[in-house]
Amino acid sequence: MSSVTQIAPTPVAPVVTRPRSRKRLRKAGWNVLGLLVLAVMVFPVYWMVSTAFKPGHDILSYTPQFIPTHPVLSNFTDAIHQQFFWNAVKNSLIVTSVVVVLSLVLAFLAALALAKFSFYGRKPFIVVILGVQMVPLAALIIPLYILMSRVHQVDKLSGVIVMYLTFVLPFAVWTLRGFLLGVPKELEESAMVDGATRFGAFVRILLPLLGPGLVATSIFAFIQAWNEFIIAYVFLHTPEKQTLMVWLASFTTLRGTDWGPLMAGATLCSLPVIIFFVLVQRKIAFGLTAGAVKG
Amino acid sequence: MAELEFIHVGKTYGGEAPAVRDLNLKIDEGEFVVLVGPSGCGKTTALRMVAGLEEITEGEIRIGDRVVNDLAPRERDIAMVFQNYALYPHKTIYENLAFGLRMRKVPKDEQRRRVEEIAQKLGLADMLNRRPAQLSGGQRQRVAMGRAIVREPEAFLMDEPLSNLDAKLRVQMRAEIARIQQALEVTTLYVTHDQVEAMTMGDRVAVMRDGVLQQVDTPQRLYDAPANLFVASFVGSPPMNLFEATVEADGTQLVFGETRLELGGPLLRDYSGRRLVVGIRPEEVREASGWDGARVRGRVLLVEALGAEQLIHIEIAASPLERADLVDAAAQPPGPTLGVEELERSVTLLGRFDRHLLLTPGEAVEVAIDPSLLHFFDLETGLALPTTDVPAVAGVAG
Repeated sequence: MSSVTQIAPTPVAPVVTRPRSRKRLRKAGWNVLGLLVLAVMVFPVYWMVSTAFKPGHDILSYTPQFIPTHPVLSNFTDAIHQQFFWNAVKNSLIVTSVVVVLSLVLAFLAALALAKFSFYGRKPFIVVILGVQMVPLAALIIPLYILMSRVHQVDKLSGVIVMYLTFVLPFAVWTLRGFLLGVPKELEESAMVDGATRFGAFVRILLPLLGPGLVATSIFAFIQAWNEFIIAYVFLHTPEKQTLMVWLASFTTLRGTDWGPLMAGATLCSLPVIIFFVLVQRKIAFGLTAGAVKG
Repeated sequence: MAELEFIHVGKTYGGEAPAVRDLNLKIDEGEFVVLVGPSGCGKTTALRMVAGLEEITEGEIRIGDRVVNDLAPRERDIAMVFQNYALYPHKTIYENLAFGLRMRKVPKDEQRRRVEEIAQKLGLADMLNRRPAQLSGGQRQRVAMGRAIVREPEAFLMDEPLSNLDAKLRVQMRAEIARIQQALEVTTLYVTHDQVEAMTMGDRVAVMRDGVLQQVDTPQRLYDAPANLFVASFVGSPPMNLFEATVEADGTQLVFGETRLELGGPLLRDYSGRRLVVGIRPEEVREASGWDGARVRGRVLLVEALGAEQLIHIEIAASPLERADLVDAAAQPPGPTLGVEELERSVTLLGRFDRHLLLTPGEAVEVAIDPSLLHFFDLETGLALPTTDVPAVAGVAG
């Protein structure tokens, strides 16, 4: 045995290291690729933020400046003092918060019906929910405009809210239904036997367990409503009623684009989405139902 | 506490064969009744109808003197233990136990007193602040029990509460539940597919099959005098040996294979010349030496040593039961697949023997059968036959 162990390392060593180094190389290759993808994703954001801090002549200079050497805040003050900024902030907040809240409430109830009750036509309904999401938005703009103008909802925030809901709800219902199906039906049955009403069982047992689903849905609804441009642009004419995304477009005029304040405004507009995400993302904890039933 | 009564209860799911048919069953105050049967026999449906989780298609269910057909689950004042426990995962054990009390608006300090008392009794006192995910299977089971007990309801409903536990824990909890039920004297309806659980726990056992109640009786009576072939094959582990035979000589003799069994009287006079089903419990198959009774010759197929005793599979010449639809498929003893060729039609007779008996597979053997311990069933209907003369079927094994 001892003689074997003495000679063993020499022939074995190169055989082992070669695949190992190849493996390491491959890993490094994937990492580089990952970094490249990250760079492509991050660069526009970086360019937006850095441009927001550059003085005008730096922005328009033919040699690109990757790092703002003389950072200024004037772009931000210009953006904030631009006409209708605070109107747009208010409008965006109203539209977004109403869409998020309404979509959560409506989608929860709809998902409940789809997940927990059997009724005639349930399956086709579920398929239709999925199907309508596949229709391209551009194809719907004109018919929707006609429809909304007939019910006098053009150039009104309420009209835009309704429109956003129609786009957010199918996804929200679909997502929440999936989460609801993951909750064993014995939980609400048990609650009902224990003395809760059917609605009480929904609110006390199902709703808390649906946390991650509600968070996922709310993030989706928030991003959709906050970032949406085309519908808002088409439907909201009066400057006082426009949302932030439409307001951003006002930096592009017939005489050219005011890049500095536009980028500063865009940076400001991105902040709420990031803040909202940071606030709620901790709640996306899966496996909340662990321990309910023997797994 | 109250009595529980099914009166002509039926349940049909749209367009399908009825899940429960004309169920009549009365559970007395404080009684422990086990509803047992193979899966899909309607036992859980029956239980869920009592809980109000399933609508009652016909008939009525009474809890105490109230007809509960149209009452919501929460108005029925019953507690239910689910097969998968159904603990609320986002609530602590304390909140789980207190949930029913909170829903019923029991004062806070009363809630605390009762929850702590139950937790003490069930050994959960240290875990009240944990969540269900942090508990072991046995502890979760106890929380589920505790949640039912703490309510002090009119009746307990239990839907296979032990089937998720491992074998050892199951035996332990079986005794535990029976003990708790006796101490609290709460009317209990317990559903299981495990006939051992049914026999060991119930004051009375109700056997169901295909939505039809087959027999309700004490475990011992069920074992000694099964009302039909299904109950005979379902109750008892290992199950009763069943095979066909012909009645001859004016009802005094039973013929199967090359065996002619003297019944010691015209027990089966009405069946003279006809075929019927004979049943014998494994422990009534005896080793022949030192026994004067009727003998059956056979061949040892398999010896299963169980420690205290041994199960011996003996192949004998007789006709296997052809109406397999009348028995519990899961309980049927292994057929003559290991067969010896010269026996044209053979049946495996399962015998429970003393461990000191030395037998090896392939060996020829003679067993004795006491005719007075035989069970007889009609071949067509599967019903147990009343024997015309006394030392008959029921109440002999003891």
